[in-house]
Amino acid sequence: MTDQMNPSTNQITRRAILRGAGVTLALPWLESIVAKAAIKSTEAFPKRFGVVFLGCGVNEDHWGSEGNGADMKLSKSLTPLEPLKSKINVIHGLFNKGATGLGIHPPQTGSLLTGATLTKGAVLHSGISVDQMIARHVGQETLQPSLVLACEQPITGFHESNFSLAYSSHLSWQSPDSPVPNEMYPSLAFDMLFENRGSLLNLSILDRVKERAERLSRQISSTDNAKLDEYLTSVREVEKRVEGMRKAKDKADDLAKLKNQPVWSMERPANGLPEDLREHSRLMLDLIAIAFQTDKTRVASLLISRDLSAMYYPFLDVKQAHHGASHANNNDEYERITRWHVSQFAYLAAKLDAMPEGNGTVLDNSCLMFLSNLWIGRAHDNSRLPMVLAGGLGGTLQTGRTLDYVKAGNENRKACSLYLSLMDRLGIKLERFGDSNTRLENL
Amino acid sequence: MLRSVRLTILLFMLGAGEIAWLNVANPTYADTEADLARTFTQTIRPFMTTYCIGCHSGPTPEASFDLKRYTTMESVLEDFGHWTLVLSKLTAQEMPPKEMKQPPEQLRQQVIAWINAVRRNEAGKHLDDPGPVLARRLSNAEYNYTIRDLTGVDLRPAREFPVDPANQAGFDNSGESLAISPALMSKYMDAARQVVDHLVIKPEGFSFAPFPMLVETDREKYTIQRIVDFYDRQPTDFADYFEAAWRYKHRAVLGQPSATLPSIAAQTKVSPRYLPMVWQTLEQTKEEVGPLAKLQSLWRQLPTPNGNQPGIARASIAREACLQMRDFVVKIRRHTEKLYPTLEAPSFNTNFQPITMYRNWSMATHRRDFDPSALRVEGDLPTQDFVVTRGPTFGGREVEELKRGIATYIKERQEDADLVVPAGERARYEAAFARFSAVFPTAFCLRERGRFYPINSMDKGRLLGAGLHNVMGYFRDDTPLIELVLDEKGKQELERLWHEFDFIADYTMRTYSQFVFNGGDGGRSRIAVDRPGPNDFATQASIFRMRDQYLEKAPAGTNPLILEAIKYYFDNANNQIRWVEKARVEAEPTHLDALLKFAARAYRRPLVQEERDDILAYYRQLREQSNLTHEEAMRGSIASILVSPDFLYRVDLVSASRGTSAQSAKLPAASTYRPLSGYSFASRLSYFLWSSMPDEELLSHAAAGDLGKPAVLTAQVRRMLKDNRARALATEFTGNWLDFRRFEDHNAVDRERFPVFTNQLREAMFEEPIRFIAEVIQHDRPVLDLLYGNYTFVNRALAEHYGMPAPAGQDEWFRVDNARNYGRGGLLPMAVFLTRNAPGQRTSPVKRGYWVARRVLGEAIPPPPAVVPELPKDESKSDLPVRALLAKHRENALCAACHARFDSFGLAFEGYGPVGERRTKDLAGRAVDARASFPGGSQGDGLEGLQTYIRAHREKEFLHNLSEKMLVYALGRSPIISDEPLLEAMQAKLVASGYKMSTLIETIVTSPQFLNRRNPEYSQQRSTETLQKKGD
Repeated sequence: MTDQMNPSTNQITRRAILRGAGVTLALPWLESIVAKAAIKSTEAFPKRFGVVFLGCGVNEDHWGSEGNGADMKLSKSLTPLEPLKSKINVIHGLFNKGATGLGIHPPQTGSLLTGATLTKGAVLHSGISVDQMIARHVGQETLQPSLVLACEQPITGFHESNFSLAYSSHLSWQSPDSPVPNEMYPSLAFDMLFENRGSLLNLSILDRVKERAERLSRQISSTDNAKLDEYLTSVREVEKRVEGMRKAKDKADDLAKLKNQPVWSMERPANGLPEDLREHSRLMLDLIAIAFQTDKTRVASLLISRDLSAMYYPFLDVKQAHHGASHANNNDEYERITRWHVSQFAYLAAKLDAMPEGNGTVLDNSCLMFLSNLWIGRAHDNSRLPMVLAGGLGGTLQTGRTLDYVKAGNENRKACSLYLSLMDRLGIKLERFGDSNTRLENL
Repeated sequence: MLRSVRLTILLFMLGAGEIAWLNVANPTYADTEADLARTFTQTIRPFMTTYCIGCHSGPTPEASFDLKRYTTMESVLEDFGHWTLVLSKLTAQEMPPKEMKQPPEQLRQQVIAWINAVRRNEAGKHLDDPGPVLARRLSNAEYNYTIRDLTGVDLRPAREFPVDPANQAGFDNSGESLAISPALMSKYMDAARQVVDHLVIKPEGFSFAPFPMLVETDREKYTIQRIVDFYDRQPTDFADYFEAAWRYKHRAVLGQPSATLPSIAAQTKVSPRYLPMVWQTLEQTKEEVGPLAKLQSLWRQLPTPNGNQPGIARASIAREACLQMRDFVVKIRRHTEKLYPTLEAPSFNTNFQPITMYRNWSMATHRRDFDPSALRVEGDLPTQDFVVTRGPTFGGREVEELKRGIATYIKERQEDADLVVPAGERARYEAAFARFSAVFPTAFCLRERGRFYPINSMDKGRLLGAGLHNVMGYFRDDTPLIELVLDEKGKQELERLWHEFDFIADYTMRTYSQFVFNGGDGGRSRIAVDRPGPNDFATQASIFRMRDQYLEKAPAGTNPLILEAIKYYFDNANNQIRWVEKARVEAEPTHLDALLKFAARAYRRPLVQEERDDILAYYRQLREQSNLTHEEAMRGSIASILVSPDFLYRVDLVSASRGTSAQSAKLPAASTYRPLSGYSFASRLSYFLWSSMPDEELLSHAAAGDLGKPAVLTAQVRRMLKDNRARALATEFTGNWLDFRRFEDHNAVDRERFPVFTNQLREAMFEEPIRFIAEVIQHDRPVLDLLYGNYTFVNRALAEHYGMPAPAGQDEWFRVDNARNYGRGGLLPMAVFLTRNAPGQRTSPVKRGYWVARRVLGEAIPPPPAVVPELPKDESKSDLPVRALLAKHRENALCAACHARFDSFGLAFEGYGPVGERRTKDLAGRAVDARASFPGGSQGDGLEGLQTYIRAHREKEFLHNLSEKMLVYALGRSPIISDEPLLEAMQAKLVASGYKMSTLIETIVTSPQFLNRRNPEYSQQRSTETLQKKGD
């Protein structure tokens, strides 16, 4: 199938890698109980966490906000969020101290969500990223623990700083040594949610070993057969659970229907990679939205452009590729790039906000985070990070605010403190995360 | 004795099993079964009623042992284990307790005789019963070891599994205890999927990486590291060649008059291809001028060895001078390297990949040439007409560093007096430099390449990098290694590794994708081309279309080399990408073969045709019905093998006919046993000795069917015990037997009180008995060393804990003799046991003593009653020393009956604190007293007192216990009555052989119990009864 679709070998490998990844992500299904996947109407609505990343910083001259509530003023690059401003928080001045002073680019990116100290050279080492930490805790509740998506292919090899370029390509880390593979193919991301390949394969394996055991039982003694019976019973039991999971998936689809609310539907995207970035980004955001609505996952990250991005924006009338353009980040062209990325974030937020849930919307039960690894691209300055949160996290997070930590002092403006505060609200209480053991004040 | 046993075992294998084995046991039984039953009714039961049942009955019988329920002899046989306990208590006159009514001695003897007679009778009846060995899943430990040996990587997926329960004998490897549950089945699924995440598909098969191979960067890490490791293994240090040549020159004085260049090369581990070339260069044609002349002169100045010097000094006197020669060569080559600048043309950015690759190619193909412009005619001014690299347009530290690097290099090169040529001699010198350079390449292979290559200021860690800016890209540069150093085998391996780099990690394709999508074209502003989409950019048509566009659009007058570079770049990318594409398709059948071989290894036996078809059908199903790719389907197929019962279970197939001997067909249908098939036997052997699957050699003997030959079997056992995998026997057998298997997680120590107890020390404590027992097993030491050995093994952490002089290396383990001087030696005083059997803030003579009695000596001791007085938790807060508290406890006769059996052993360890440290005062500052009065009345002090007591009174019990425990472990079942003769034989042979460990192991593996399985048709209720001592 793949071969007909695309004669390039890269496709085959990539698909394999990616699908392998989907499979890995799907593993904890075995532990979960069928009933958990379908949320009962009486239960509190699940809280979701999503990250949208823009590489290489913003145009700092047009990035800003003042005031709160209806009076909040958003500067030019943030205007796409104007309709949602009561549901966002614009956060100024947070940073990741460990990512400063090591060199440019990869070491400024690989620890963005982990707060860890990165290792130089061929062997990767970061930490567990905040999205994956959340997935660890809430991922068992859903079909997929998390979605890790990207619109731009990862790069490897080395940067002048002697840090691996893989750090520039991966925000989400499932263990300190191992980033989560980015899914770039909308069609395969779709399959992860709807075809549920992981458990399909497990079912087929179980089916096969059951046959095998039955055949084997004819070749062994009756006492040994008693032992083998144990095995067969276990296999059948597990099989039932997998079947249950598959049914639960359909229940999740019906969930919103039960409450007479519309379910957003989505056709399976075409195989292959979309050639237009706008289409690619839109598909990925739609996938996150629908996965959040139907509770197939509660954690997602999307890297629209990675660090050192080579994206082109002909539709914005920008000639240079993203990274090149960021070296003149205070010009108009880079402002357009920034604003377009913000508009993608706004699209996702608006989409979730149009999905009713309880008395509010899916957005009200979520926290979306927009961030970049740099502040001023031309100076490779990451002394503060541009950041916007959207959504009230089930009423636990007040919105419609400008939160300014620029002058709060380094100890009081750690990105990891924000992560700890957000995880608190998701019911995950950690003493320490990355470089922080304190919560962000005034959040 | 030894000889006759060997003989009878041989007879047994030839088919005369039953008769031959009777010779070993030689039992005589006078009583008939009817006599025994009558005695039970007439004598035994009245005895019990009179003297025992008063306490041992009712709702809470003493020692939880109810004697009233034995109403018939059958009921005794059903639970004979308890009656062995009765036997020992009566024999030792411990029961009835002294204060109770005592039976007449003659009556006591009658009961003793009866129990013995019953035991003999039963043993005789079922002499050739190998016992019920159930099909069983692998234990967690066996699973881990098996995955390690099957995949070649130690992944230990069972870490996440629930803990295995132990059987009554304390071992976690028996069919009785190893059940499977849906939860565990799920874990097996997870583990299988986790293992296949590590799969690496290669052109000639597949293997497993030590880390998951899911992300691009993992695949690169894996393949690149193997190439760099290969480079690192190659002999490329010129000094080694000079020294080898020197050894050859002086071979006679150095004591090897008949040495040849190849033999010296082999001896000094340098290339036998390159050494003769170096030799010739140094020795043959005398050079007049240039670097060779100077090198030859250095060569001639090497010291001459003197026959009177001691060997080592004689052999090393030339080393220093060889290093100087090497440094000279390296310096000259560095200063005369032809540095190819990056080609420049207005239409192309210097980041244009074809240009960078062309520079890399130029450097790589001229490693044995030199740059004539490096030579300077005497009196001329230095020139600087070479461009090293174009610096970057911006960047801070890096640029400064680069500029410094370039300036230093230029200065060094200009100031090198060895590059100065006399006027009028340029041609002659150039020829001399050319000869020199042909022999001594600028490098044999390049491991790292940075952006500003060939200036190496920024290439650290950038393994095999092409030196591209901000994008990935790799380039191969190792021609001199191939031309000068490698033999055929080495060349093939290197080719294979590079092929695998592309096959596994797609490096050409991914480098090319950087060109198309990631600025590898140097930006789009200069030459505008139509770009392919992300889905077809790597087809031949796409690649050629890109090539042709650049060639057509290059402005007139573009440096023709750039056009060549463009052609080279695209053609090379296309060739390599097409090769990978083709190789992947062609390799698929090979992978399926490998899959079948993998399954046979996983199942530990050859597959039958039906199974082969079955595995291939499943693979095809995954490809065709589930639409998976080849690699995905391979992963799925392997995962299914890893959860199939054939892998997870050790099961002896009834249909497998090929036995360890050919006589099974001759056995009568009613016979109790059947020989194991060769493969089942091989598994039984390897799971006994290695806790893991059989290796290829063992399986080949299973295939040949000759494991039944004593010589073959013994040779295999000896080989396997020498193998590192035999460490598992020390860990798993002794770990379970002596109850320290889980010590790695031991957390009962109060670390604030004992800060010395670090994780590192805990690990060392756990390791000590394993090292010790591995030594006894692998070097065939007497098993009594376990008790009395005057040596032990320590690393730095443990040595410090023990107050032994510590070695320099942190992780090195070493043997300490005369350990007694430090209060150690043998198992008994090892910190692991002393700590394991102490509750944290005080010692526990009870637990320590109980451990000696129960675990080491195998004594059966009933569980304590529900209400026992607690000793204080903290020694320092108690008014009395522990010994005094215990003495009080023993004043209670009920407690004394048991505590008298073991408290004294524990008191002998009072000289060791809660973490096994030696001490003279307890935690409250009282002087410790390690004197003890042992059962039977003998007195002793401390460890040596205990050892003396055991040697005098309990050694037999220890040997019996060790024999029984090892048999139980080897067979994977609890002991049965008919094992008794074998156990007796084991002990007798142990004594006869000087207590050699090998005697024990070899007696077990040649025993009928080990060689056979029970005939499935033979069902004998009684034989499932165990001799297990249930009293504890």
